[in-house]
Amino acid sequence: MTGRVLADDRRVDVALSEQTRVEISRQKERYPSARSAILPALWAVQHELGYLAPAGMEEVARILDLAPSEVQAVATFYSMYFQKPGGRHTVMVCVNVACALRGADDVVAYLERALGCPSGRTTADGMFTWQSTIECLGACGYAPMMQVDHRFYENLTPAKIDAILDRVAGEAGDDGHATMQAVAMPKAPPSVAPPPAEAEGPPSDARMPGTVKGESVPGQKRRRRGRPEGNDL
Amino acid sequence: MTAAPPPGDGQVGLVIDGREVRVPKGTLLLDAASEVGIHIPIYCAHPKMDPVAVCRMCLVQVEKLPKLQPACATVVSEGMVVDTQSDATAKAREGMLEFLLLNHPLDCPVCDRGGECDLQDFAFRYGPDTSRFPITEKVHFDKAVPLSDKIELDQERCILCWRCVRYYDEITGEKEIVLQQRGVHTAVATFDGQPLRSDYQGNLPEICPVGALTHRQYRFKARPWDLIRTKGVCPECSYGCNVFVDSRDFEVKRFASRDNPMVDDMWLCDRGRYSATSWNSTSRLRRPLVRDAAGGVRDVGVADAVKEAARRLLAVSERGGGEVIGVLGSPDCTNEEAWLLQRLAREVLRTPHIDHQLAEMLRLGPAEHALGIAEIESCTAVVVLGPEPEVNAPVLTLRLHKAATKRGVAVHRVAANAEPRDITARVGDARLVGVVADETNRARAAAVASALAGGGTAVKRMTVTRGGNGRGVKDMGLLPDLAPGYRPAVPAGMGGRAILESATSGSIQALLLLHAGGVLAGLGALVESALRIAKVVVVIDTKPGVLADAATVLIPGHSLMEKQGSVTNLEGRVQRIRAALPPATSVPSELRVLSMLAGALGAEGWGSGDLMEVHRALAADVPAYAAAGNGGRARWEVAAA
Repeated sequence: MTGRVLADDRRVDVALSEQTRVEISRQKERYPSARSAILPALWAVQHELGYLAPAGMEEVARILDLAPSEVQAVATFYSMYFQKPGGRHTVMVCVNVACALRGADDVVAYLERALGCPSGRTTADGMFTWQSTIECLGACGYAPMMQVDHRFYENLTPAKIDAILDRVAGEAGDDGHATMQAVAMPKAPPSVAPPPAEAEGPPSDARMPGTVKGESVPGQKRRRRGRPEGNDL
Repeated sequence: MTAAPPPGDGQVGLVIDGREVRVPKGTLLLDAASEVGIHIPIYCAHPKMDPVAVCRMCLVQVEKLPKLQPACATVVSEGMVVDTQSDATAKAREGMLEFLLLNHPLDCPVCDRGGECDLQDFAFRYGPDTSRFPITEKVHFDKAVPLSDKIELDQERCILCWRCVRYYDEITGEKEIVLQQRGVHTAVATFDGQPLRSDYQGNLPEICPVGALTHRQYRFKARPWDLIRTKGVCPECSYGCNVFVDSRDFEVKRFASRDNPMVDDMWLCDRGRYSATSWNSTSRLRRPLVRDAAGGVRDVGVADAVKEAARRLLAVSERGGGEVIGVLGSPDCTNEEAWLLQRLAREVLRTPHIDHQLAEMLRLGPAEHALGIAEIESCTAVVVLGPEPEVNAPVLTLRLHKAATKRGVAVHRVAANAEPRDITARVGDARLVGVVADETNRARAAAVASALAGGGTAVKRMTVTRGGNGRGVKDMGLLPDLAPGYRPAVPAGMGGRAILESATSGSIQALLLLHAGGVLAGLGALVESALRIAKVVVVIDTKPGVLADAATVLIPGHSLMEKQGSVTNLEGRVQRIRAALPPATSVPSELRVLSMLAGALGAEGWGSGDLMEVHRALAADVPAYAAAGNGGRARWEVAAA
């Protein structure tokens, strides 16, 4: 996968789905101050659009009764909110201490070669946007690791990375930016991984906050489960 | 150190740098220090905004506390011992400045703020001599990025004090500016890069402690040490915001805020602030002219022009009496000019037909402007009729915002034609209600006020007058039915529109127009035919135009930036203006010209028209003005409605 890097200024100006707007309103009620709901509301927008389109942030501001500028101030503070549209899938590589000690630099170098574009950019075919500038993702026990869309992939090796990228690129219908419902519903387990042990969902599913399972954030669920994804790869 | 005070007197005693201070409970350390003249450097703290303590510049040592405390956010307590000069304090200041200058471009020589910059000043006074960080590794941003057609951002110079963000949050409530990103990438930004839309952007460069936000109008125009600073009053509307008229090379370069907590609270609107350079127009009337019956024009000296004006006015009044003369001033006149003009009309020309605008304002009373601007904050509720008051006096909006958000005043913005009954219901129980209306909406405002008062509520009205000195010329009796001080004029004459219509029909044969160009502009046929048909048109004005073209005697006047006197704002506050620019004409002042005219018309005892002479006579005639002095409000006996 090498080639031209897409311009970063592609934008979508789509209205949010009814489902996302309902989700944002629901988040608003969970907090005493509407400002507190900005983070989960932005997650919902990014989940639907793949990035935080200005139109989406304006919609958040409207629902939460805040100024759009306040919403964007929060959005730009955090590196895991994307300000620009990216590829179909998002790859985030952890380069913090634990991962760095376990070879994160090699993973970064390998990804750059494999994807054919520097960190922060999108592959020519629009399939992947990858970042190596995001801080600790909280899976230090399984370093080096990366997160692809909402899933963690751990104990990485070049061979595993190839397999993950190929599989994700080949997955039909699961583009990582699917609707909330799509994520909330159990997916078919990846062909290369064993079926999930628990009934609550596939093992690799680090859930969005506010989805059916509710509370977990990427990372937490993995640690509790204690069985790294893709060990057989 | 200090003796324990009697408890419960509401005062707190503390020691700052060895000096004993007693201040009210709840006072911030920063303010307590300035009370005894001790300077503590600040960036994020601002007298009009709540403390945030983000810049850490004001750290001082407080005895018994393990860490340095931010003076801007520390409330004084009994027996506190503060040292603002200790080694620890000095070291903290040095360290903070070293950090603040870490990525600062040090481009003071090309920065508009150079010379009036807190970063520059404090670096000299408290900062380290050198930096331990290499100058080659500074983080850079784009320079001179326009945030709107008025404001420019130079992010490299920003020290992230949050003042601009808090200004938009606390003072205007518009929330247009935020800080985006984080760490060294943190930047002042608007949502999605949209241009600022606020009507109060011009305040940003003034609250910015450094040169990050600057005026585009003032870019590279002057150095502060080259500016000549004159205390003035913004002439753009009748709110009367206090400004510094900053001029250089005989041009006004900018209006800067001059904090008057009773009026502007240090905020200016963009319309007023950026009107500054309009006073530099060289399209001006400079020499007196006399036009003869055949249309021939003669250049004359001012003495001849005045004599000719008097001769022609006498010629028409000898045949038809004083009533064939109509006299129009305008809100562009100073109080002294207005007072002298009405005196000339009533005592010398003997005409009752005198006004300052075309809209009819009959039976005006001081009750219409009983509510002071700062008093808005002590009202229980304020009713604003329609958008006109805030359109015509934009800074009023900021006072209403402050009253609503910081004083808990219920501000009701209602339609100009809302039913008084509905308004009363909406206001409900209230101790004191302010009713704010534009002067074109006087009748409605009166109805609303009496409906509210009928329910037993105390009511005070504020009327937004049109034009810079709209209130002053009314106080001075440039009205057909009122003499100075709201005394009835006997007999009452015709108003502005009626004067022009009578000139068209021939019953008014002579017009004396003092600075009337502004109020008569854009009226088209009525003005043109009145000017054409009137036999005598004496014009004293500043700019070329319809009036100057039609004048049979033309005498150049002085702009508001070229003269001294007083103007009165919409709440009746009498404020001085001073000459900031050299006069564009060698003709003497309007006061002198009017006095010369009175003399030429045969009046005696008019003197020479010196400002102090006229001002004394005015004060003697209108005691409320004598009592108001400079900067006070003229207080009138308000007759019971």
